[in-house]
Amino acid sequence: MRDLFFAMMKEEWRLHATIFGNLSFALFPVLIGIITFMGSLALPFLCEIIPGPALSFTVHAQFVLLGVMVGGFGLLGQEVMNRRFGQASLLAYSSRNLPLSDRRIFTVFVVKDTVYYFVLWVLPFISGIVLAAPWSGITFSTIGTVSLTLTLSFLTGLAVVFFLSTMYTRSILLLAGIVAAGVLLATLLLLTGTVDPAYLFPPYALSRAFTPVLLLYSLAAIAVPFAIAILFMTTEFPGSEKHFPDRFTPLASRLSRLRSGPTVAKDLLDLRRSGGLVGQPIFSFGLPLALIWVTLVVLARVLPDTPLLINFAGVVGVIGATIYTWVTEFDAIAGYTFLPLGTADLIRSKLVTFLLLQPLTLVAVLAGAVASGDYGSLLPAAALALSISVYAASVMVWLTGLWPAVMVYDVRVLAASMLLIGPVVLGLIGAASINTLYAFGSAGLLFPAYLFIRGSYRRWEGWEKAFT
Amino acid sequence: MAAVISASQLSKYFGDVKAVDEVSLDVEEGSLFGLLGPNGSGKTTMIRVLTGQVKPTAGRASVLGIDVVAHPVKVRENIGIIPEQETPPSFLTAEEYLAFVGKVRKIAGVKEKADWWFEFLEFSEKRDVLCKDLSRGTRQKLMFAQAFLHHPPLALIDEPLINFDPVMQKTVKEYLKEYVRDGGTIFISTHILEIAEEICSDVAIIHHGRLVHTGPVTAILSRQRHLADFFLDAVGKGSHA
Ligand SMILES: Nc1ncnc2c1ncn2[C@@H]1O[C@H](COP(=O)(O)OP(=O)(O)OP(=O)(O)O)[C@@H](O)[C@H]1O
Ligand SMILES: [Mg+2]
Repeated sequence: MRDLFFAMMKEEWRLHATIFGNLSFALFPVLIGIITFMGSLALPFLCEIIPGPALSFTVHAQFVLLGVMVGGFGLLGQEVMNRRFGQASLLAYSSRNLPLSDRRIFTVFVVKDTVYYFVLWVLPFISGIVLAAPWSGITFSTIGTVSLTLTLSFLTGLAVVFFLSTMYTRSILLLAGIVAAGVLLATLLLLTGTVDPAYLFPPYALSRAFTPVLLLYSLAAIAVPFAIAILFMTTEFPGSEKHFPDRFTPLASRLSRLRSGPTVAKDLLDLRRSGGLVGQPIFSFGLPLALIWVTLVVLARVLPDTPLLINFAGVVGVIGATIYTWVTEFDAIAGYTFLPLGTADLIRSKLVTFLLLQPLTLVAVLAGAVASGDYGSLLPAAALALSISVYAASVMVWLTGLWPAVMVYDVRVLAASMLLIGPVVLGLIGAASINTLYAFGSAGLLFPAYLFIRGSYRRWEGWEKAFT
Repeated sequence: MAAVISASQLSKYFGDVKAVDEVSLDVEEGSLFGLLGPNGSGKTTMIRVLTGQVKPTAGRASVLGIDVVAHPVKVRENIGIIPEQETPPSFLTAEEYLAFVGKVRKIAGVKEKADWWFEFLEFSEKRDVLCKDLSRGTRQKLMFAQAFLHHPPLALIDEPLINFDPVMQKTVKEYLKEYVRDGGTIFISTHILEIAEEICSDVAIIHHGRLVHTGPVTAILSRQRHLADFFLDAVGKGSHA
């Protein structure tokens, strides 16, 4: 077990390090640390605008979000076993010929991923806060508590999504039932006023009042879903040999006007049959956005001037761009290189698939409008979300080609994407807060997006490392 | 006769590894050309360079008169390829996969052609099963079919027989021989020497990335009883070495 764990760690490291060099990858956590260091320095000023509890809630929620984003192991298990053989995480698959059960291998895999993301994201974040302590005025005892509660927040998000995604791979009805029951219970508890809402978010409650009971409660809220997920997790998706009618030919004819019609049709069928077309929107899109919505609502209470729906639309745009990773992440490029298709053809086709999935972005904005009742801002917000999504995706394509999920860990890529996307998004949100109609100006982003995409065709055409 | 594949001083290095090292070689139209060599000798890399899937570190190559570095996609448009890794882990069915290849290659009447291949390689009953659930041999059949679906004048095939049972091997060998009789050219990599001896008209032997022999099979068999003996000598493992 221990050997397998270290072998997997090494493999994960090599995957990234061979692609863009040891140094560039090792600097990734350093960059995260620097960013939070600077953020912490700004804390005294931030505290004058945002009251402490709201700020603390926001940061904790972001750590849950991080856990949510990396915790879809149930889905991952399904995809890894089905689609990734020969690809990135070879060990999870090839260790099937080791005398270990699938469940053990998968458990090691999950623990490895958790540790890996912890080291890459959570640890540098906390280090940034610690290093800034002399200037930010945060006391060391607060830092101790916060380090613990932030870690617990990360693990809570991760455990809950691991649990839910595992239930999803068993049956979507099971998932729906569990979610409905959870929501119902929470609503009842809140409406009857029996509990403080903070108790629904144990690590946050713990950060407000550190008691042994709350600590145990927080740990249980992680351990229980995690244990159930491990018990229920499955890498076998048996059943009889399934037979399917030809869905490709009709779909491809419907897309025949597109130059990349055939590859897009294949992508859509791959996504649908692998469960990705339902699972990804739930776990990589809906869930994170719901969490962000809650955070924005909390922030809006203390910052009454910000138009909630516009803020939300900006974030939806950024998250919407990550849909590009769904269509690239699990598709082995080796499956195409012997056909008369170049990298540019593949990028083009992935982008078309990405665009075909963009209605999800609009649905998210619509949901925000319904929740806030702010129908007046719906159209500008939708325009903002869509433009940002397309623009941010084009930046991603330019910076990472067909390999966004791997390449984000290159510091140069991360820094460049933050510089190219961050100010643009903030500027547009700022402008739209002055007058919502300014949000329509975001359509101007489509021009640089076009240039990025054009440029990326040439830029990635001869990139060979991924083929090897 | 014209050379359909022509390589001169072709090299491909992966860091320090000289996978292909200054190989010059011509393949005549209408030949069944075997590329032989031990494991790791550079056969797959050679095929990947010749089909424009990776760029050579040095040297030049043209296939059907098209430069593989300048126009890799055009090269692949005109030829058929069976890659070494036989599996596209896809959620398309076998039938859908051939339809996909047909669309990408813009082949007319792909349905009929696919039907012929299902019949010929005897896997009609698997046509509506997802690729990822097919057995290795069946996936190899599918890859074989996709390479010849458009009836290309030239096919480069990497160990295409390794997962087939003896009956299927015979079927496929007959197919290849007939293909060449009809004017096609085959470039096949293999380390199964009996197969090479049986079907190839010419062979090249590659060892540590370097070409150590090239010529007609008949010339070898006039000197040695079996290709295997010659091969072992050529790579320095023979009784005479
Ligand atoms: N993508 C790559 N990166 C690094 N080294 C590689 C890569 N591909 C091949 N090599 C190395 O190049 C050499 C030749 O490999 P190649 O796959 O061409 O051999 P082969 O003759 O096809 O072997 P086999 O008979 O086992 O299929 C080997 O030493 C291999 O390790
Ligand atoms: Mg090989």
